[in-house]
Amino acid sequence: MARIELRNVEKRWGAVWGVRGVNLDIAEEEFVVFLGPSGCGKTTTMRMIAGLEEPSSGEILMDGENMNGVDARDRDVAMVFQGYALYPNMTVYENIRFPLRMRKVPRSQHDALVRRAAEMVQLTELLDRKPGALSGGQRQRAALARAIVRQPKVFLMDEPLSNLDAKLRQHMRVQIRHIQRDLRITTVYVTHDQIEAMTLADRIVVMRSAEIQQIGTPDEIYNDPANTFVAGFIGAPPMNLVEGGIEGGVFRAPGLEVPLPGRGDLGRVILGFRPEDCAVSMDGGELRGCVYGVEPTGDVTYLTLKAGERLIEIKADRQFRAPLDSPVQVALDPARLYLFDGETGRRIR
Amino acid sequence: MASLRTTRRDSRLLRYLILGTWALVCLVPVAWFLSIGLRPRVEIITPRPIYWPTFSLDAWHMIWEDWPMARYLRNSVAAIFGSVLIDLVLAIPAAYSLARYQYRGRDDIAFYILSTRMMAPAIVAIPIFFLFRSLGLLDTVWALMIVYAAINLSLVTWIIRSYMLDIPKELEDAARTDGASDLRILWEVIVPAIRPGIITASVIAMIFAINEFLFTLLIASTPNAYTMSVALANFTGGSDGVIYNAIALVAFLAFLPVFLVVLLIQRHLSRGLTMGAVKG
Repeated sequence: MARIELRNVEKRWGAVWGVRGVNLDIAEEEFVVFLGPSGCGKTTTMRMIAGLEEPSSGEILMDGENMNGVDARDRDVAMVFQGYALYPNMTVYENIRFPLRMRKVPRSQHDALVRRAAEMVQLTELLDRKPGALSGGQRQRAALARAIVRQPKVFLMDEPLSNLDAKLRQHMRVQIRHIQRDLRITTVYVTHDQIEAMTLADRIVVMRSAEIQQIGTPDEIYNDPANTFVAGFIGAPPMNLVEGGIEGGVFRAPGLEVPLPGRGDLGRVILGFRPEDCAVSMDGGELRGCVYGVEPTGDVTYLTLKAGERLIEIKADRQFRAPLDSPVQVALDPARLYLFDGETGRRIR
Repeated sequence: MASLRTTRRDSRLLRYLILGTWALVCLVPVAWFLSIGLRPRVEIITPRPIYWPTFSLDAWHMIWEDWPMARYLRNSVAAIFGSVLIDLVLAIPAAYSLARYQYRGRDDIAFYILSTRMMAPAIVAIPIFFLFRSLGLLDTVWALMIVYAAINLSLVTWIIRSYMLDIPKELEDAARTDGASDLRILWEVIVPAIRPGIITASVIAMIFAINEFLFTLLIASTPNAYTMSVALANFTGGSDGVIYNAIALVAFLAFLPVFLVVLLIQRHLSRGLTMGAVKG
């Protein structure tokens, strides 16, 4: 149960930046998720915390102690890898026991600890099997059991669910959260899946191009995005971002006129609104366009609207149906509109 | 449907036919020198064809009773297995270093190791002779062990390195965060994972060692260090002339151990020979 501090941590390989100017405090027992697209630096940051990569500059502290130069095996962290990284020559039992042997935990305790870890991930029946004889989900649970068996100070999880199917992923998300709560171990989790981030995290760190874009709780990230990248990355479908200008207190773009009382004139801005913060309306709305696509999914109908040359995503009522190319008007929730700078993409508050 | 079944059966027959022919091509020489080895000497040198050969254990008795064949065999086995052991002890850490650590000149060192294999053995024959004479190791199995190991070390290192490159880096990272030292990672994670590669490299080294003749002849001057390959040469000269049935039988005995080893481990060997070929 450690407190982790990253102080201006940077990693570069020649002219290529892996991580740039990362400052972050992770509290004891906190569950922090690094979220971002491939190559954004999230895994590199995690590997530096693990001690598998050395930062080019900056400091990594655990419980106030500088970890720079400390080998991975001396950091008391446990890591779950994307490819599980189970030792193929050992049985599940031996895999789970491996960290205990390496860290010289008294032999008499091994069996009880291994069985307790296996029990937590419901793997007791499969302890005699080799990893090759396990399904993806079972391997994932074996890797998880190996990480929790010795109760480390920090859990590091690098996209551990990315190789599982959707149903199993949902089940494992719940299990991981449950285990973390039970063991109360500080956890850093890397993913590019925003659902995983939103459901698991106490706080999310959104990264892009080696830099942190925003740090906040899932609610803050979703409801109060700092820039167009965060706004567009979180949410499925993501936030609609429409470029236009404000003149006389009205935002104007092709097919869209939104009154923004009290706003001064701005030449180039981006208006953002989420698909769920709109309502299809028969008697008028700020957004006018024609139906480009209708996708009923059972609980909700996704409506794609063409306004000018732009496609807008709307979450409509599950019973909504309309012929293609028919005119539609959409009312936007004035309390749920976001304005961003047209040049920098930063939020205008 | 019926024609599809016929085509399948035909293709299977064709496969068996090709494989059977290939097996025959490989086995006929073995069977031939076994048959020579188990015939009386006079029958071998006769110019007339013999359709029903006479079975005789003359050569068998001769090689065991008149010659210290058991000793040659023991020398061969000791030198070969000893050299493979030396190769593995040296090649595994070297290959790990070449496969995993980053340091200047790493690829040049790797190439240099392989390039030693490209040298004609005769170039170093005289220096090796003087070296072992100075060390007082001439005419000993120890010298053969060292020479065979030296000859095969580069090849064994390269084969093992190629297998190590195929092992996912995640496996080592996992072991490191689990608390393992570099040596434990090598011994407990890497070596078991590349077992097919180690077996493949060992068998290849064994085959090269058993066939080695030049250095053995140079180092071994008495039955004290003679191996099977040099023993064969003993039957080609002297007052008795060329003793073909003894040569054939000794050649068969020299072939047998490697054949049996390959037969026992062929599952690992075929997996090993292809495992390093394709990156997973």
